[in-house]
Amino acid sequence: MLPDGPNGPSASLLELSEVTKRFGGLPAVHNFGFSVREGEVVGIIGPNGAGKSTLISLIGGAISPTAGTVSYQGRDISRLSPHARSYLGIARTFQIAQPFVGLDVRENVLVGALFGRRNLSRNEAMRVADEVLERVGLARKARLKGDQLTVADRKQLEMARALATNPKLLLLDEVMAGLTYNEVDQAVELIRDINRSGVTVLVVEHIMRAIRGVSDRVVVMHHGRKIAEDTPDEVLSDPRVIEAYLGERYSKQRQATQGNQRQGSAETIENEWKEGLA
Amino acid sequence: MDSTEPTGTKAVRPTKARAPAPVARGKHSWLWSLAVGMLILGVIGAIPFQNDIAGLILWTNVVMFCCLAQSWNLIGGFVGYAAFGNVVFFGIGAYTVAVALQHDVPYAIGLLLGVVISAAFAFLLGLPVLRLKGHYFAIATLGVAVAIGEVVEAEGIGGPGGEASLPAPTFGGLDTNTVFFFAFVTLSALLLLGTTWLTRTRFGYALVAIRENEQAAEALGIATFWYKVAAFTISAIPTALAGGLYAYWQQFFNPSGEGGAFDPSRSIAMVLMTFLGGAGTILGPLIGGIIVEYLDNYTLINFSTIHGPLLGAIVVLVTIFLPQGLIRLVQELTRAPVALEGPEAAKVSYIHRIGEGVRRVFRFIASQGV
Repeated sequence: MLPDGPNGPSASLLELSEVTKRFGGLPAVHNFGFSVREGEVVGIIGPNGAGKSTLISLIGGAISPTAGTVSYQGRDISRLSPHARSYLGIARTFQIAQPFVGLDVRENVLVGALFGRRNLSRNEAMRVADEVLERVGLARKARLKGDQLTVADRKQLEMARALATNPKLLLLDEVMAGLTYNEVDQAVELIRDINRSGVTVLVVEHIMRAIRGVSDRVVVMHHGRKIAEDTPDEVLSDPRVIEAYLGERYSKQRQATQGNQRQGSAETIENEWKEGLA
Repeated sequence: MDSTEPTGTKAVRPTKARAPAPVARGKHSWLWSLAVGMLILGVIGAIPFQNDIAGLILWTNVVMFCCLAQSWNLIGGFVGYAAFGNVVFFGIGAYTVAVALQHDVPYAIGLLLGVVISAAFAFLLGLPVLRLKGHYFAIATLGVAVAIGEVVEAEGIGGPGGEASLPAPTFGGLDTNTVFFFAFVTLSALLLLGTTWLTRTRFGYALVAIRENEQAAEALGIATFWYKVAAFTISAIPTALAGGLYAYWQQFFNPSGEGGAFDPSRSIAMVLMTFLGGAGTILGPLIGGIIVEYLDNYTLINFSTIHGPLLGAIVVLVTIFLPQGLIRLVQELTRAPVALEGPEAAKVSYIHRIGEGVRRVFRFIASQGV
């Protein structure tokens, strides 16, 4: 491992500095730096193609950065494999759910409990799997196979599997996409609960209501760069953010009509953003 | 994709009652598989008592192929990596025994050497080729097997042109055919036990997770690459043992060509048998091996002129209608429909269950077939 300088107590659990990832010539993540403190919930938002999932993969270890370093607990983990990062306590979900389709839901979660950070016997792992399933609300579907699940269930399974590894840092890549209004509320409550149990959470999400509901801090990505970082309400009324989501012309119109004031509430931003997508 | 539709489409359907009931595996299916497998091997084990020498040789061959398929199942069935060159371990096992016996090394030591060399070779081969995926992995393994056969032939290992001839085996007055028959049956039984044990362990779950989704397996803390190398290496061991048994049993064999120790068609047979029976299942390779090898012999004897096409037609039919294998068909038939609230499942009548099972099998074929 590379030396990390003085081994003083570090306030941040995860630290990215000047991280760049290029696919071919195109940088998906460009000169990106931010840190996550232990116990925080940090939201990451940004338009499609902003590089959010690439960022998750860089932290989870599925890809390595072209330049820059990813540090975890003060240690450079940029070149570690995903399974090694899993031992260290980093767990992720996939934006497109990746269930083990030939296994049932319980076995899916069992795999997470058997490996990951815990070192459990099969029976202990079974117990953990059942607990986790109960927690995310999948217990009734424990005997169904991975491909008999609805999209929403698959997302929950992703979360259950990641939780079963007993993570310190949980990376959630759009686990709420496709959920109904009530299900989003439940998911928000679940994430809060997970956080209260001492897990640091990084949430990539498009649903602003959810982001606002869980995040202590929000980072906004656009074209692979960080364009804003603040509390949810501040970020959602930032003209740069609105511009990134809805386009420059719209942003200027809006500024003209509203006198260039930062007074839009999060709700109006979200509604406008939805209209912008439509 | 699996047998039943995702439940997500169910909610949209007005005819909810006709939607397939969610099914689940029986709790002790592994015990059933083990018991049935042992029963089959037990029945086969009675064959020497019929005093039919041709039948004994035929069934020795059948069980040998079962062993090969059972070994291949580990890498091809559990990990899902279609190794098309596992015959190379068979050949190495056979030729190690040949060379050892020619140098007056005891047979047991020869067998052991064959296992060690094969395992080491599998490990070293696995390091590069297990970084490949899909077709590339299949072609790389196939290429290596053919190449090693050529080397044995060119170098004249075991005899000029690789034509090995071994001294006649003696086992203290016991009938050698019977001895080799039971050796193969024992190996097959051990593989059956080993596979059953595998399905119950952490190691087995790692392999299955890699097959089902390598990316997700890695993210959950499974060192996927090393598990693949381990599975590949372990699968070489019984294959080499079978090769060593085959060598001394046959006494004379060639490196390549029809029936040669490195004949690629042996690799193909392992794949075919495992898939017909059910890849990644406890019983599949055993049943597939028996069916394919017995049919092969049967058609060769009774329809010698159309033996090839007939076997080919069977292969085509299997791949079209049963790509998941026979075992999965039986599982579909016997699965209890599981109502989401437990106790209601028990109230379903027996007749209804059979009807449901048959319907499920048809649906399964329809959904799996091309």
